Amino acid sequence: MTWWTRLAYAGATAMTAMALAGCATLQVNAFLARNADFNQYRTYAWDTPGMPATGDPRLDNNEFFHERLRAAVDRALAARGFEEATDRTPDLLLHYHVSIGQTIEDPPPASCTDCLRDVYDAGTLLLDLVNQQSGQLVWRGWAEGNLSGVIDNQTWMERKVDETVARILGRLPGKL
Amino acid sequence: MRRRIGTAASAIAAFMIGGCASSMNVSSYVQRGTDFTTYHSYAWGPADSRPVGDARLERNPFFNDHMQGAIDRELALRGLQQAPESPDLLVHYHANISERMDVDRLDPRAGYCTVGDCPSGIRYYEAGTLVVDVMDARTNRLVWRGWAQDNVERSLSDTDRLERQVGQAVARMMARFPRARMEQQAAGPASGR
Repeated sequence: MTWWTRLAYAGATAMTAMALAGCATLQVNAFLARNADFNQYRTYAWDTPGMPATGDPRLDNNEFFHERLRAAVDRALAARGFEEATDRTPDLLLHYHVSIGQTIEDPPPASCTDCLRDVYDAGTLLLDLVNQQSGQLVWRGWAEGNLSGVIDNQTWMERKVDETVARILGRLPGKL
Repeated sequence: MRRRIGTAASAIAAFMIGGCASSMNVSSYVQRGTDFTTYHSYAWGPADSRPVGDARLERNPFFNDHMQGAIDRELALRGLQQAPESPDLLVHYHANISERMDVDRLDPRAGYCTVGDCPSGIRYYEAGTLVVDVMDARTNRLVWRGWAQDNVERSLSDTDRLERQVGQAVARMMARFPRARMEQQAAGPASGR
């Protein structure tokens, strides 16, 4: 396991803990490699072949979901001055990972007398930008949120994807 | 004695909570803007390279028989004929079983337990998810996906129950298919489109 993967797992664990502490809103975080200079990067290419497994059979191999996600990412990157590489070698390679599973939430004990635990669908979306030449991870952004009822509603899924991608890529360092 | 009553009461309560209302969850996605009236025929798609579904369902001949029969009926009712040679649509389904969690919510007000004593435990159960994919045979793109999720613990060992559950899943799923049933039921190959 590479060091950045370990860092991501540590970050994701911390975020899961925060989510369990009662924050139901989207938790977004980003990691920027210390020596990364984003002004040198202009082009990117998708490097996630096919449709990666999500952990939820409703979204596995679901073209609607993956295409919505890719379109949202392309739009957000274009808005930030990046260009999708056509035939030239791209500056950056883009990977994404989706992970969906159930989370148990315990309400803070001081807040209720007949506290009931809650179980809900939670999802994590992770976007990686890798320097194509060096293979170094230069930036990672991720978000974790409550997906209760979202997956079953196509419009809500689309909105959630758009919102999540915009918030993750909103953490990209600005270019001059 | 008190503990035995408590256990029995919990079991009855759990049955009442889980056994009355349908726990089946059904939904679908559609390729927006697709004109489904342009499709007239379908064929069962080849086994694909997806992660292997659950053998207890996908290799269960009763399950496959029920599934294909139910879907064939629903598509026929919508005027779609089977045309293995040159179909407009490709259909296939995928069955997955995974362990899911649910919260047991015994309510102290119902009298089965007292506040502080009520179990708010996590219950694990086997959830089956049925996914039906319909693709445009020309473009090879998904135009519709329907799914149904339900507790399948008892169905895996009870063929009649499985048949009823599959029938209900397909009926509810296909009710969301963007092509209405024809007024006359398709009676055979000579029926009009």
